[in-house]
Amino acid sequence: MSTQEAENRLELLQGTLDLLILRTLIFGPQHGQGIARAIQQTSDEELLVEHGALYPALQRLEERGWLAAKWGVSTNNRKARFYSLTAAGRKQLVKETTKWKRLSAAIGRILGPEET
Amino acid sequence: MLRSKRKASDFGAEIEAHIELEIERLQEQGLSYEQARTAAHQAFGNVTRAQERFYESGRWLWWDDFWHDIRYALRILRKQPAFTLVAVLTLALGVGANTAIFSIVHAVLLRPLPYRDPDRLVRIFFNEPGVGLRDVTFSKPELDDLTDRAGVFEGVSAIGGGSANLAGVKKPERIEFVLIGFDYFSMLGATPQIGRLYGPQDYALGFSPNVVISDALWRRDFGADPNVLGRTFRFDGDPATIIGVLPPGFRHPGPTVSGDVQVWAAAGFSADPFPKPIRSNNTLNAGTIGRLKPGLTLEQAQARLTAMAAEIRKDFPTDYPPQAQWTIEIQPLQEVLVGNVRPMLLVLLAAVMLIVFIVSLNIANLLLARASGRQQEMAVRLALGASPGRMVRQMLTESVLLSLIGGLAGIAAAFGTLRLILDVVPANIPRLNEVRMNWVVLAFALLISILTGLLFGLAPALHSAKVALFSAIREGGRGSGYSARTGRLRDVLIVSELAFAVMLMVGAGLLLRTLRDLLRENPGFNPTHVVAANIWLPVPDDPKADPYPGIAPKVTFDRELLRRMKTIPGVELAAITTDLPTTSHSLNDPSGNVALSIEDRPLKSSEDLRAERVRISPDYFKLMQSPLVSGRSFSEGDEDGKQPVAIVDETTAHKYWPGRDPLGRRVRFGQDPTRPWMTIVGIVKDIKSDGLDIDGVPHIYVSIFQDPWRAQSVVLRTSLPASALEQQIRHEVQSIDPGLPVYGVSSMNDVLARSLAARRFAANLVGGFATLALLLAAIGIYGLLAYMVGQRSREISIRMALGARRNDVLRLFLQRGVALASVGIVAGVIFAASTASMMASVLYGVRPHDPAVFLIVPLLLFFVAGLASYLPARRATKVDPMVALREA
Repeated sequence: MSTQEAENRLELLQGTLDLLILRTLIFGPQHGQGIARAIQQTSDEELLVEHGALYPALQRLEERGWLAAKWGVSTNNRKARFYSLTAAGRKQLVKETTKWKRLSAAIGRILGPEET
Repeated sequence: MLRSKRKASDFGAEIEAHIELEIERLQEQGLSYEQARTAAHQAFGNVTRAQERFYESGRWLWWDDFWHDIRYALRILRKQPAFTLVAVLTLALGVGANTAIFSIVHAVLLRPLPYRDPDRLVRIFFNEPGVGLRDVTFSKPELDDLTDRAGVFEGVSAIGGGSANLAGVKKPERIEFVLIGFDYFSMLGATPQIGRLYGPQDYALGFSPNVVISDALWRRDFGADPNVLGRTFRFDGDPATIIGVLPPGFRHPGPTVSGDVQVWAAAGFSADPFPKPIRSNNTLNAGTIGRLKPGLTLEQAQARLTAMAAEIRKDFPTDYPPQAQWTIEIQPLQEVLVGNVRPMLLVLLAAVMLIVFIVSLNIANLLLARASGRQQEMAVRLALGASPGRMVRQMLTESVLLSLIGGLAGIAAAFGTLRLILDVVPANIPRLNEVRMNWVVLAFALLISILTGLLFGLAPALHSAKVALFSAIREGGRGSGYSARTGRLRDVLIVSELAFAVMLMVGAGLLLRTLRDLLRENPGFNPTHVVAANIWLPVPDDPKADPYPGIAPKVTFDRELLRRMKTIPGVELAAITTDLPTTSHSLNDPSGNVALSIEDRPLKSSEDLRAERVRISPDYFKLMQSPLVSGRSFSEGDEDGKQPVAIVDETTAHKYWPGRDPLGRRVRFGQDPTRPWMTIVGIVKDIKSDGLDIDGVPHIYVSIFQDPWRAQSVVLRTSLPASALEQQIRHEVQSIDPGLPVYGVSSMNDVLARSLAARRFAANLVGGFATLALLLAAIGIYGLLAYMVGQRSREISIRMALGARRNDVLRLFLQRGVALASVGIVAGVIFAASTASMMASVLYGVRPHDPAVFLIVPLLLFFVAGLASYLPARRATKVDPMVALREA
């Protein structure tokens, strides 16, 4: 990918990475690289996730008890650390999602209808 | 915590795996390995930065810093042994004193009573508020109402007793016993060590012939014999069979909670020696405890009892005169047992807390002085990139470490000395046997240590972080080191220290003055050269077995006793009293405090005519050197069959015959019209019978030959010490009756001293703390000024070189110390004045705002502060200008 391409992508807002990680893991355990891929793909390549920023975030979520992690083997037979949602993590996801939806709706109302 | 810690290598492996996965994916999209690798790394960003963030986010950094700080702090402390020693020792003292006092407060006031569901245990009082009486005597039917009619109690037990003569064991002795109901043990949830406790099979109308004994008695008199069950001894003349031995930890929860109860004897309170169980026989003289049914609140139970009392008054109008308003009251048992020692213990706790404050302030001051010296170190660390937060943390680690070391030393000291401390704590504080170091006490001590560490560490730590980076480096070691900010902070610390010292000293002053006044208080007799001993004539259950029935045998015993006592060499006079001053509990004991009838004075329904009855032998007043105001003393001829006579004290005379002469008037105890009137033949000065701190109780003395009593004390006027007489007194008494124990032989001065033991303990302890506070405050001022003098020696030299005289320099520093002292003392006096009234309940004869204390304390502190300032100030005048300037 070119630098130009990367610059056109959206930078993640502070704090939204956690939400996206939790959301991605709802489909089942995944390793870090898989999570990064999934976020990029499901956002139609709109979101730029710096992979290096992902791991401290994963570490943080694990320490808070929202994620559980264990080493396993990926589909193409590589060792990787797989993360899965805990019960607390699920609860947190619901909470964060609601919060985010309210926030974006409110900001949407302030910004008004999209100009065409 | 350890489990969740993840190794950095594991994190690294995860990142590696990520990059490999990414490379593979990109290769699948058609990139070459090299291209894929570059792209994967580009997408990842900075690997090192991610690892750093992992390290910082985890607890690794925190732990590493923590251990680093600890090691550094230990190094610093080792490098300054004098400072460390002083700090650790004063802390150990503060924390140790706190731990010891708190362990007592915890055991006595805070811990629930050691029985099953202790919060449901209550003390039951029968009251007559209409005539101002609380805890009056009661009848057996009233006791039955509590169990059968009230419906709020799971169990009820009357508790009586006191002491009894124990014979048929090694040697006759006097032991504490309690008279209980058959429900007593099941109500408290007690289990025996050997044998059984009372059950339905033991039920008896009078005393049960079976008794339960304490672990202590079992060991002492029965050699811990496992086959002790079934053995008998004579208990006030009655045979008693042992059915059970209680475990060592069991204590009776009564007024005699001293832990000395040796025998538990149950009774049905319905047959001899108890009065017939009818309502008008309301003479049972006992306390009563009960266990509330589960789920009932105190208020609900009280409401039911109040309602029941009203019903009973209506059902039996002749037994309950309406003006008395007879009623029933319950209070939590714990409250009743420890309520009266609470104020004193809280005063002690407050005193040790003040000591910890003062210790903290002193150490804060030392640390601040040191921090000024370490400014350069701090500045360099700031310059090298340490964040202010990290520096505060490191300084706090240092001070908390210091306080923990001191705290541990204090806890160890408290552990080691708790036994000694308990030896000096007056034994009349209940539950002392439960005092021990436990987890709660340890947690409290640790908490105090850590809090002190934070308290004294915070000011210097925050200050060091605020040090202006450049100015500090520029000032270097040469600067004054006494910047305006440090100076102000240290001033505040010194002022607070002095203020706390004032509060503590005022408290100590008030307690000591109370004690001194009580010691000086004229007790109404001369206790010097008087020896006292106690004797109890036993009461068997069966009146026919009583060796001292009625009047005559007791009088014969008393006359023989007096005759034999006077034959002991060195004894000048001998007398008998039933109310040895300051040992009587008759205020709580309705049998001593009796209703009174006065001839030609119609009984007004609302009037409370009562007096304490004291039975004495003829020479009592002469022996005690209590002067008669008018009339005569008793004579040998005032005996049974002659005209009954009485002597009143001045309080009685003023209370019942104000402005008139009571001589020749007639009174009698009780309202029974068949009893003969007693003629008042004399008036005596008040004797402080009930305690040196109790005034205004009316006493009426009667001749022991007309109204003898079983509990009596023999007093001797002699210049011999009690220890020299004890054997002879016992020998003479047991020559009359070999089964009689003689107990409590001591000089009258010792008796008085014992009655003040609790007050003396509190006063001495708080006095000791106050002295310590004074010393610490003096050290604080001295340290501050000495430090200032050292730091400003260059300035002093310049001043002197420019012509300042030594007196000017002296005044400069002296003024500083005196100004600080004045502010601290004034603040302390204001605080003390506003809190002193909380001490009113532990004072006697001294007002909480006693002018003498509030004058002497500030003056003393001012003098000491002046001295502590003078010494360093004088040193300032010794500065040699040439030397100081050359060094600069």
